[in-house]
Amino acid sequence: MRQKYVYAAWFALHFLLIFSFSCRETLLLVAQGPTIFPASFKSFSQKAETAVSVALGQHLAASNAIRQALVTYLHLAGIETGYGYFAPNVPGSYRLVFELHYPDGRVEYELPSVSGAAAGLRIAGLLDTIGRTPYDALREHLVKMLAASIWREHPEVKTIRAIFGSIRLPSVHEFEEGKRESYQFLYAYDFSLQNEAAKPNDR
Amino acid sequence: MQGFKERLFGFLFPAETDIWLAILRLGLGIQTTLYSLTLRNDWNDLLGGAGRGVSSSAVAEALLSVESHFVPRLGWFVTLGEHLGLREETVLAIAWICLLVAGCGLLLGVACRFSALLAWFLHLCAAESGGFVSYGMDNFMTIGLFYLMLSPLPDRYSLDWQWRKWRPKDRQLLGFFRRVLQVHLCVIYFFSGLTKCLGSGWWDGSNVWRSLTRPPFNIIDPEILVRGQFVFPIVGVVICLLETGYPFFIWGNKTRSIWLICICGMHILIGLAMGMWLFSLVMIVLNVAAFGPGLIRPEHAKISMQPQGAVS
Repeated sequence: MRQKYVYAAWFALHFLLIFSFSCRETLLLVAQGPTIFPASFKSFSQKAETAVSVALGQHLAASNAIRQALVTYLHLAGIETGYGYFAPNVPGSYRLVFELHYPDGRVEYELPSVSGAAAGLRIAGLLDTIGRTPYDALREHLVKMLAASIWREHPEVKTIRAIFGSIRLPSVHEFEEGKRESYQFLYAYDFSLQNEAAKPNDR
Repeated sequence: MQGFKERLFGFLFPAETDIWLAILRLGLGIQTTLYSLTLRNDWNDLLGGAGRGVSSSAVAEALLSVESHFVPRLGWFVTLGEHLGLREETVLAIAWICLLVAGCGLLLGVACRFSALLAWFLHLCAAESGGFVSYGMDNFMTIGLFYLMLSPLPDRYSLDWQWRKWRPKDRQLLGFFRRVLQVHLCVIYFFSGLTKCLGSGWWDGSNVWRSLTRPPFNIIDPEILVRGQFVFPIVGVVICLLETGYPFFIWGNKTRSIWLICICGMHILIGLAMGMWLFSLVMIVLNVAAFGPGLIRPEHAKISMQPQGAVS
């Protein structure tokens, strides 16, 4: 019987965490908008999300033992994120094109490539991360890693320019009128093999 | 109070057969094996550290360390390998082989507990180290393998059962972990549906169009898709209703089969139309394991005996 109490307590704690993190993400989505709620809901959602985050120890110092234990458990159980996939609306996607400059003046274009379709989905996710991160240094580092993988395939290349942009998808009506997906430039980085230092040319 | 406790414990610990566990083990065995095989050529590129991988697992692990030092990652093995004189590529190749073996072990039911533990641990390491290239499917695999690892293995269809005569002791514990999986799926679908309901694009169908035309999910020619545009609003609303209604309709005997078939159908269509077939497979496995057994042939025939009034 005591064993059952232990299992029941774990059940309650486990689902309290799942429910709380799911609520937090839902509030965050409303706060970031746009949703079907009026704009006045945004500030309320922001405050509620902050309150839930505080209750979940997310505002404790990163070195705090309780927070570390909680984060570890969440990752072990795979419950560290909410379930708002493609919600509230389907986000746009991104494209990265590499311009390869050869010593003889030749220029070629390459896309980040992997062998399998399963890995291709993951690269698309990586491009989304690059596009959405607010941290310039992280964005530059991730682009640099992709450029380095291109370099390994084309070791004779002198310099690489990485051009990153977002894809604008046409609506159904726009598609019927002949519009197709368009590409909007966001960032460009120049890499050379000698020092591998990037020279960002933003927007 | 006593009555509430009895009802709660009755809900949490129903006596169950191990059919659901067999479905979960077999399904996640197939999932883990396919996961490994589909990434065999890209494993080192996706998960290699600085100067090797496209996604820089070194950065992903460094960011993870800010949150917690105790979340498993492939970097632990790479560091250990360095002490033993093994290169990173060798360590990653060993990890990949071990994950494939764990998947096959689950599929056959050999050393079930160890296979489940190994599959969960190695997949989690890969998902965390490849944080920048992980997506929803990895979360659901972790969830499934986590519950499988904790469940009272082996099941009767495993080779462990046949060969070693290992038997789980507690049928109520089997019921408990099935209940955990069931409730978790209810939370997943409810919040997934609720957050979709918040977006106007799911009500007018524009999000269905965007989902199907957004790279890299645009495997159907938009020229074909546009001919069926009148269906998009219906599909969008149906998805919202199916997901949000899941926790309310999946428990009832009359609605369970409809909801389960519709949800599995939705995942099959996602797999076919968007190329996310590994994601679809893990969701179908979790759903069928949680709510499938007893659907066609009830596991426990319930006989209700009502006192009859006197007939004069």
